[in-house]
Amino acid sequence: MNGNRTNFVLLVIVVAFLATAAVFLEDLPGRAVVHPPPVPLVDLKFVDPAPTRVSIAENLKKGGDPSDYDCYLCHERNKPLKLNIDTNGDIIVPSEHKNIVMAHGDHKRNNNCFNCHDENNLDQLQTRDGRVLKLTDLSPLSTPQLCGSCHGPTYRDWEAGVHGRTSGYWDRKMGGIARLSCVSCHNPHAPKFQGREPAPGPHLLHPVTASVQPGRSE
Amino acid sequence: MPEPKTPCSCTTNGMNRRSFLRTSGVLAAGVAALAASLSPLRELSDYTSVEQFMQKHYKELTPAEMQKVLARIANEVEKQYHIRPHVKDYKPMDGVEFVYCLNLTRCIGCRKCVHACVAENNQSRDPEIQYIRVLKMPDGSFDMERGEHNYAPAQVPEKGFFYMPVQCQQCRNAPCVKVCPTRATWTEPDGITVIDYDWCIGCRYCEAACPYFARRFNWTKPKIPADRINPNMSYLGNRPRKQGVMEKCHFCIQRTRAGRYPACLEVCPAGARKFGNVLDPNSEVRYILDNKRVFIQLKEDLGTSPRFYYYFDV
Repeated sequence: MNGNRTNFVLLVIVVAFLATAAVFLEDLPGRAVVHPPPVPLVDLKFVDPAPTRVSIAENLKKGGDPSDYDCYLCHERNKPLKLNIDTNGDIIVPSEHKNIVMAHGDHKRNNNCFNCHDENNLDQLQTRDGRVLKLTDLSPLSTPQLCGSCHGPTYRDWEAGVHGRTSGYWDRKMGGIARLSCVSCHNPHAPKFQGREPAPGPHLLHPVTASVQPGRSE
Repeated sequence: MPEPKTPCSCTTNGMNRRSFLRTSGVLAAGVAALAASLSPLRELSDYTSVEQFMQKHYKELTPAEMQKVLARIANEVEKQYHIRPHVKDYKPMDGVEFVYCLNLTRCIGCRKCVHACVAENNQSRDPEIQYIRVLKMPDGSFDMERGEHNYAPAQVPEKGFFYMPVQCQQCRNAPCVKVCPTRATWTEPDGITVIDYDWCIGCRYCEAACPYFARRFNWTKPKIPADRINPNMSYLGNRPRKQGVMEKCHFCIQRTRAGRYPACLEVCPAGARKFGNVLDPNSEVRYILDNKRVFIQLKEDLGTSPRFYYYFDV
């Protein structure tokens, strides 16, 4: 009687062991876990270290057409230019220059073309203290001189490598530091740094509710 | 008590057909179950090798041993990703202490730093591991509780908010180093807190100790597409990690110890990130610390004394 029960229990255990063994062997290497949907790879434009805009100098270096910046293909030399000003005192941008947005400064203090352009020679720019620079000067040091003639503290920071983007070597002994000029990031006619699309945020496995995120925009 | 009845009396040594079958059945099942329960070990070679298991702590490795280790890592990477990497053990430079400065006035919250970091440092793409977390904070407040991680407007920056990227602060008094039971993480002479991924046991004490949410754990085997592997690797830095170890920002050790800027700095479109040697009086970071309104070391009250400074433009 006792032996029969032992036999029965052992038989059950044997069958259970063999069954679990089969299940283990079958399932463990590739256990059927419900995988969350794959995380999409980020667009490579978000890891591109290129500056935000292409300045005249950079465009010319890349083989841009220099005649795009030759003012006297259209303008007549030695003919004084007249600015048209509307009733608010704003400059009316002529239709040939419609791509120019006049937005230098929040208070329209710098909405006069000839604060920076030389009215006597349109191929040139003039600083506040009367120095002239060529419009197509390829040196990255040229525009900072022009902008720096008004924006002193920012120019000082730029000289120290603190304003603006840098790349290359922090250790100057091992290599140079690559500097950008002002117009590689700022549009001189509308220099406020433009907003942009943010790269994707952290991938969420579950939707975030307002209660989890007390700091969500009020 | 009645004596147990023997099922059969036909054998001499007590073994008969039935008991033989019974014993061998139980034995077979036991062996099968044992083998099955050990079957995950078949994948062990994917996780570790004998050489890796027997490897000494980073600080005890002789240069010759280190060369062997680097060769092993290069072979492993080549086997897995079919790319021959340049694995190097970059050593700290004399007279250099790294400091990072981040301009909160300039940061626009575009998160390019986050992804440049992932690309440079071979973090897992799925599941996603990122060293930098950008917080969107309401203007006029430094309440970290109100920082939002998951903002997704069409355009940043949004009016009324500023953005604060947080990553490893490379503390002078690092809590993560103190709690590590195996000394797998320590602060190097140039100020970078590093992890020996081959010495980490994955206990995650450091993750709990870090007040900046800077450390990440590899819950699964990291997945990186082969075409996005950065082949310029360092032992303490961006070589591919394995499952079950911690990782975190190491100031791009493979770049910065070769004199270059970190990846997050080079990609920042706003120029908000500055990095350099604080012991060099002509460095950018010294200019910032001397001349700018340097705000704080984040969570200064904890006494961690980070090498990561946030500042504003005056």
